[in-house]
Amino acid sequence: MTGGGNFLYPFLDAEETDGSALSADLAASAEAKATESLELRRTSIAGLAAELDRAAAAMAAAFRAGGRLFTFGNGGSATDAAGQAALFASPASGRPLPARSLVADTAVLTALANDVGVEVIFSRQLIAHARAGDIALGLSTSGGSVNVLQAFAEGRRRGLLTVGLAGYRGGAMATCPDLDHCLAVEGQSVHRTQEAQSALAHALWQRVQREFQQLEVPA
Amino acid sequence: MTATRAPAGTGLPAGLGEDLAAASRTLARRLAAGGTLWCASPTSPHHAQHVAVEFVHPVVVGKPALPAVALPPHDPTTVARANARPGDVLVAVGPAGCTGVLDLVRRAPAWGLTSLWIGAGERPTAGVADHVLWLPDEAAVHDGGFILIYHLLWELAHVWLEHPGLLRPDPACDGPVCITCSDEGRLAEVVEVRGASAVVRAGQGLEQADLSLVGPVAVHDLLVVHAGMAITRLDAGPQGGAS
Repeated sequence: MTGGGNFLYPFLDAEETDGSALSADLAASAEAKATESLELRRTSIAGLAAELDRAAAAMAAAFRAGGRLFTFGNGGSATDAAGQAALFASPASGRPLPARSLVADTAVLTALANDVGVEVIFSRQLIAHARAGDIALGLSTSGGSVNVLQAFAEGRRRGLLTVGLAGYRGGAMATCPDLDHCLAVEGQSVHRTQEAQSALAHALWQRVQREFQQLEVPA
Repeated sequence: MTATRAPAGTGLPAGLGEDLAAASRTLARRLAAGGTLWCASPTSPHHAQHVAVEFVHPVVVGKPALPAVALPPHDPTTVARANARPGDVLVAVGPAGCTGVLDLVRRAPAWGLTSLWIGAGERPTAGVADHVLWLPDEAAVHDGGFILIYHLLWELAHVWLEHPGLLRPDPACDGPVCITCSDEGRLAEVVEVRGASAVVRAGQGLEQADLSLVGPVAVHDLLVVHAGMAITRLDAGPQGGAS
């Protein structure tokens, strides 16, 4: 056997001719990885509970003052950013809040990437749209995506609240001076990290919603 | 409004590991034979894009890039009908009641597609898709357990792809004559009506079907065809049979 499979599945070095043996191995492997995922999601939420509370309180205050949420990331994190914006703006239950992702418009993204460079695809959009009091929420499994870091820097310059979700203990985001809140997962694989980030992002949304439940509507 | 909660359960619900192993083998078979993966998630488009990007741009260096496409959320059926070829795979993501997914999975056999349906909460009707990968807890959609399912699907498909010997066509259903369904009616979608007959798309390609038993039909209606005869016109689905 060649390829990366034997790194993840040492048992593949055996020469099997029977598909049912591999099926059983893969079912067991899926179960083990699911357990690992669940453990990382649980420990991430528990370990970051205080930082989640602080970030959610700051976000709720920004929303109350008229702030809007901009989300961004690359690849799978781009899709998670889109999901997070959709969760805030059109939740199945709870209060809709102004939020959109900066990964949705292919005309803007390709124009910026082609004319300037991929490192500015989010920061330039913040220049166009954001104002003081808005919120920039960026996701990066490595913690080192340059365009995400540049967007935090631009957000900081413009007086935005900046929140980051990162893997690998935060990577460059862990020490990023432009971040108000960094939610860093300990995960060492992109997939387990994304799963934990999804759980953290939802926990963040739930906490923001809770702040709004407590909001008195003026008579 | 839900209370803050930790992700539920331990690992995978009973049977899902086996379902993943079987679904990933089917997917690998189709990809190894040159098929394309069409991803649809009408109610939350970012999931379809996430599935597609996993296959096109693998996170593990050295894994092959594979053809996977996210269908647009607003009219995935029209785009899939025009682009999908026999031997391709549909991966749909969404709840059991999602009309956009239901319309796709019911048409998939007529287009020659194998269908996988990923979701959480109440399960869809048995048999509606070839493979159903389901989490019982609806909250899993947001707690990371949902993304885990398609991450595992990707990972296991790549393991199968490293074992071409185990990806030979399934003799029960991939041969020139299907042992289990050679004498059964087959699903077909009307492409063009020609008086008392119609050109239909029925799995592997276009065929002529006599309409005398079913009466008038419209383009995109679904029929059951047996030995050149349309024997049943299926009820309009959630998005209507005709267009």
